[in-house]
Amino acid sequence: MGDVILTMKGIDKSFPGVHALDHVDLEVRKGEVHALMGENGAGKSTLMKVLTGIYKKDAGTIIFEGKEVEFANPREAQSHGIVIVHQELNMLNHLTVAQNIFIGRESMSGKLINDAKMNEEAKKLFKQLNIDIDPTEKMGNLTVGKQQMCEIAKAISHEAKVIIFDEPSAALTEAEIEELFKIIRDLRKKQLGIVYISHRMDEIKVITDRVTVMRDGGYVGTLITEECTKDDIISMMVGRVIYEDPKTESAVPKDAPVVLKVENLCAGKMVRNVSFELRKGEILGFSGLMGAGRTETARALFGADPKDSGKIYINGKEVDIKSPRDAVAHGIGYLSEDRKRYGIVVGKSVSENTTMASLLEFMKGLFINKKKESSTTKEYVELLKTKTPSVDQLVVNLSGGNQQKVVIAKWLVKNCDILIFDEPTRGIDVGAKSEIYHLMNELAAEGKSIIMISSEMTEILRMSDRIIVMCEGRKTGEIDISEATQERIMHAATLRD
Amino acid sequence: MEKFKNNPLVKKIGYNRVILIGVMLLIYVFFSVGSGRILGYADIMSALNYACFLGFLTLGVTFVIGTGGIDFSIGPVMFAAALIGGRLLTKNGCPVIVALLVCILVGTAFGIMNGFLVAYMELPSFISSMALMMLAKGVGSVFTSTQTIKWPQLTDENGLGWYRNLIRWDAGNGVTIPVGLILLLITAVICGIILNNTKAGRYILCLGSNKEAVRLSGVNVRIWQMLAYVLCGTLAGMAAIMYVGAYTTVQPGLGDTFNNEAIASCVMGGTSMSGGIASISGSIIGVFIVSLLQVGILAMGFQKDYQYVITGIIVILAVFADVRSRRRAN
Repeated sequence: MGDVILTMKGIDKSFPGVHALDHVDLEVRKGEVHALMGENGAGKSTLMKVLTGIYKKDAGTIIFEGKEVEFANPREAQSHGIVIVHQELNMLNHLTVAQNIFIGRESMSGKLINDAKMNEEAKKLFKQLNIDIDPTEKMGNLTVGKQQMCEIAKAISHEAKVIIFDEPSAALTEAEIEELFKIIRDLRKKQLGIVYISHRMDEIKVITDRVTVMRDGGYVGTLITEECTKDDIISMMVGRVIYEDPKTESAVPKDAPVVLKVENLCAGKMVRNVSFELRKGEILGFSGLMGAGRTETARALFGADPKDSGKIYINGKEVDIKSPRDAVAHGIGYLSEDRKRYGIVVGKSVSENTTMASLLEFMKGLFINKKKESSTTKEYVELLKTKTPSVDQLVVNLSGGNQQKVVIAKWLVKNCDILIFDEPTRGIDVGAKSEIYHLMNELAAEGKSIIMISSEMTEILRMSDRIIVMCEGRKTGEIDISEATQERIMHAATLRD
Repeated sequence: MEKFKNNPLVKKIGYNRVILIGVMLLIYVFFSVGSGRILGYADIMSALNYACFLGFLTLGVTFVIGTGGIDFSIGPVMFAAALIGGRLLTKNGCPVIVALLVCILVGTAFGIMNGFLVAYMELPSFISSMALMMLAKGVGSVFTSTQTIKWPQLTDENGLGWYRNLIRWDAGNGVTIPVGLILLLITAVICGIILNNTKAGRYILCLGSNKEAVRLSGVNVRIWQMLAYVLCGTLAGMAAIMYVGAYTTVQPGLGDTFNNEAIASCVMGGTSMSGGIASISGSIIGVFIVSLLQVGILAMGFQKDYQYVITGIIVILAVFADVRSRRRAN
């Protein structure tokens, strides 16, 4: 490791209602691969966005090559030599590799673009990086791994001094990861500073020199990778004090009937052989890191996405769920993590949304019985304490928590016995949060069965009777709440094959 | 302004509609002044001829736009229906009533095709209706060997002209009953009920606003989306009856200007191009404005082209108002 090239000190950033970064420090040296770790929402991405000028910091200093800097936008950061290689690649598939690399700064001969020259330059660049890619190939024909190499080459061509890799290995195969590591080691030799964001514990050990851990927007500490174990890092990631009382014991009797049984569910890459059981009156927590395949499992179960194979039993009987219609007919309701896109129809009223799934019950002959519709909606507005001036109010005008209540009402009116809550409190303020928790507990006590997908550890430990942990599309753990700890869950969540 | 907006009567009718009616009266006054004479009975009747068939087209396309789609085929479909029905009547000796039914069925058939392509084959409605527009033109031409079809006059010696009473019925003593207008208004009321009080209308508008959320509520969105196009096609078939009732002569290979006028009327009336919001009464007022423009411009001695200019400007203003109000809502 060489001299310090980048220092971020006391970085602070707040968004309305959230303290996203709380005096975070980060130091990167030349010729170092520095891991940045933390759970979902720990603030890693926000920190990098502050660095590259996407967000403006509220306080703190950034020192780059000995000078204090503040970039107005990613372009400016890039021109100084700080480049992000994004997890989702921003490539234009119909252009060639060389055209992609030099986009926005094409070689010109007069008024015309000189493709030959760009191909030549790209070739030189690849040679320098020991990458074997044809610059004239269309980007869309390359594998994700190769596309990423192009992105790296593009970064180098900007004369990058610090490269940030945001979960670079997420979409790569083992062989591609090997190749990526080779390139990263090369870059390290060339005295570049590298920030490596990843959830994969074993990779951290292989490729990085130091690790900085963040938790809930705060700085936890920096370790030298060689001197620490996987467990050290995990305990730093999860070592928060839990203020809300976690459940200590399952509220479900051991002999409660199984209402839903899923056997070897497979759907695409993100759901691989998932099996589990859900008992009557149980809240089954689904934990895991981003991209673990939890939402995909729920969507496949609900028939929202096609499934490849697997069996689903409801109350002991095998059922064939091909579409959400089938799922709803079998008494399953799904509350999406993305309310605005999949949960509510924002331009419609509270009552129209509430009766969406059960309109048949509100028909009088050919016509909708609007009186009954609005009286039923009123009932549920009162029951769930939804704050809305009237049942005719458009949902777009309600707060996140109240929108969520409208979605809950939709499934309660339909009288669903199995409810899938996908990130039930995302984007919801603290007060409404505890109301939703209360409601879920009440529903479970009434005998409804709940699957709760959550990325918040506290939420998982507070609500679940039993916890399923997933990693990369597979079930990697099943833990009874009486034995659940943050460490155990995080262990399972980072368990790759 | 705020006071005017909050006036109970204005609120009841709807602010946008009050503005539209104002625009309509303004156009009427403008043309009366411009042409140097008060637009009278004959002009109004002429406008009504136009409004009747355009009204049916607009009612239909209101459903489709409500789903967030678009239908560029309705004009040619109307012509194809009129051509096919007319040819069966004049060349094949079909009874009038059968020819009229054929008109409606041809419209329905095109609606089914369009709806199937959009809802089940997942083609963009823009593309599928464009293709059907060409198909409708082609079918109309082929079926008539590219010859103009003349539906019978009221004075037809075989008594085949009675269908023209569906537009205007001479009750004797110089009293003329605008049957077409009455039929249009009745149909509009029925459409309003379908849109606002039935399951079909509810789901059509909801899926126009957020199709995926409706699907995830366990609703068969495809069938309701398709239904909007079927309704639209059927109404285009009815529009064909209104068209021949008013003008009797149909030429193959035409009709696309009417798509634009129907869509324009619809958008003017407050139906949102992005779907989810639709107003039947607004569409009807829009139809009257476009029809009045058509007659007024001719009364002033200008060519029809000026009508397109003015309609274009009004549409831009209407869409702009729609986009702006939605941006504010967000």
